[in-house]
Amino acid sequence: MSLDDDFLEDDEMNMINEDEAASDSEAESLSDSDNEITEKLAEPTKTAVYNRDGLLDKLQDISWPEDVDWTHKLTVEIDQGPQAVDVNDDLAREMAFYTQALEGTRQAFSKLQEMGLPFLRPADYYAEMVKSDTHMEKVKSKLLYEKKQMEEAEERRKARDNKKMAKEVQSQKMKERAKQKKDEIESVKKWRKQRQQSGFSEKGGGAGELDLEFSNGKSFQRGGGGKKRPGVSPGDRSGGKGKAASRMGNKKREFRDSKFGHGGRKGLSKQNTAETTNDFKGGFRGGKAGGGNKRQKR
Amino acid sequence: MFDFCPKTLKYNLAAVYANRKEQKKQMGRKRKHSETETAAPAKKDDSAPERPKRTLLGWKDKNEDAEESKAKAASGFRNKEKVLVTCSRRISFRYRHLMLNMVSLLPHCKKDSKVEAKSSKGATLNELVELKGSSSCLFFECRKHKDLYMWMVKSPSGPSVKFLVNAVHTMEELKLTGNHLKGSRPLLTFSSNFDKDVHWKLLKEMLTQVFGIPKEHRKSKPYHDHVFAFSIVDDHIWFRNYQISVPHNEADKVARGGLDKMTLVEVGPRFCLNPIKIFGGSFGGPTLYENPFYVSPNQIRALEKRNKAGKFAKKIKAKTRRKRHELSNPLEPDEFADMWKDDE
Repeated sequence: MSLDDDFLEDDEMNMINEDEAASDSEAESLSDSDNEITEKLAEPTKTAVYNRDGLLDKLQDISWPEDVDWTHKLTVEIDQGPQAVDVNDDLAREMAFYTQALEGTRQAFSKLQEMGLPFLRPADYYAEMVKSDTHMEKVKSKLLYEKKQMEEAEERRKARDNKKMAKEVQSQKMKERAKQKKDEIESVKKWRKQRQQSGFSEKGGGAGELDLEFSNGKSFQRGGGGKKRPGVSPGDRSGGKGKAASRMGNKKREFRDSKFGHGGRKGLSKQNTAETTNDFKGGFRGGKAGGGNKRQKR
Repeated sequence: MFDFCPKTLKYNLAAVYANRKEQKKQMGRKRKHSETETAAPAKKDDSAPERPKRTLLGWKDKNEDAEESKAKAASGFRNKEKVLVTCSRRISFRYRHLMLNMVSLLPHCKKDSKVEAKSSKGATLNELVELKGSSSCLFFECRKHKDLYMWMVKSPSGPSVKFLVNAVHTMEELKLTGNHLKGSRPLLTFSSNFDKDVHWKLLKEMLTQVFGIPKEHRKSKPYHDHVFAFSIVDDHIWFRNYQISVPHNEADKVARGGLDKMTLVEVGPRFCLNPIKIFGGSFGGPTLYENPFYVSPNQIRALEKRNKAGKFAKKIKAKTRRKRHELSNPLEPDEFADMWKDDE
């Protein structure tokens, strides 16, 4: 019994000492009582009964005979390490239990293997398990859910980092571009000043200097360096501006159409199209089929 | 074909049946009554002394049979443990589930209906155990809808232990993901500090007998795929139940190097037992052991309440103390006190 635990579970705290202390000193003794608990020979506990002989007698009474086969008992004793496990450290405690069980099964399995008895469940042995299948389904779905959460969190973190990186890169590019623009303007101003100073006389030299600026090949590009706008599709009447939103709406519309069928537009069936204006004979041929080509390419 | 004994002019059917039973036992099938086996050889000897017995495997000599019967009598031990599992009336859901988990873990147990708490429960429970013909009992008693006490009792005259149960996690928790055959015999592992003192030894013996499923119980399943771990930490007995998963191809041999790749998955339930008292009789009797560190949960709660109750009084006392202190040591007037008083 370790004497070093001064931080026990609540039911183990030997607060019997406190009961005896005067209530006035309770405030101070609360902090002291933690230390008092470790002294195992406090007053009330001395009266605990410990009838060793009686216990031994009872042990003899209930024990099984000595020569019982090990396969009846299936017990393994595992030696715990020299240091006691801290009760409040959950991870260490569970690790200790786990290693004890693991070690025990190893020893037991080697014994069983020596005896030659079957002890491992074959893959085709189906029998009632202690937890039902529905319960195991729930467990599996919970595990999958947790895994998905973790993966999503990872992805989100990566996306955030990427965005940060991208932002930095973009700011760099912007700075560069601004610098270049400034440089170009400066150089044009300088050239103009030079020309002014040299009195507008030397055309050949000036033109040559001017050429220097535009020989890079990348100065005059519309849109600031190769940014291509996506082309507008010919059937699109929105003018290329409200693209993303209408596409989102389109996807929803397409899904609903595929599920509930085509509802069709509201009241276009009696409007004129190019064909029907030129149709002087009345031309109500096919009804709905004819009216179906009015901008309703769904 | 049957053993015809010329003396008594009767077929010695008993001998044949006894032989057949022996062979079946050798082939490892489950049976109910092997006690008759030890009785039958003796009877055989009386009625057919000279004739060698005819068995399915050939003629068996009488001398061999005598030796075998002797060996069998020595190991004719048969674990006939039967556990009765009951609870008290006002038990809460978590502890009821724990009890149901125990019932599913122990196929040699019998679940009984709830027991009235107020009457003399010792006598009632003893009668109940006798009635059901069980050899031990696990009684879950829930007090005040909060505390669970577990009695583990060997009947009829065996010792009984009362535990306080803490830290209960049932098998239904989704974090305990393992699963095993219902009724397969567990391997029991005990930590070595069970041998350090007498009362732990007694508890170990009782735990082995109650939690170990009898070998050829009719509801038990053949393979060993889970392991119980009992450890003593901080004078409590901690219980864990793990499923064994080891890569294997045959039923009686682990794959090479498989023992290293063995993993354990927790099945549950989990609980922690705090022994309170050990009695000499069942549900009563002389006290053999009392746990010196045990404090009842009622006392703990009372203590906490008392601490909280004193809070207001302590505050008042602290205030008066402070006032007295201030009066006795007055502060010197601050030199910067009226620095801003002049700017109006």
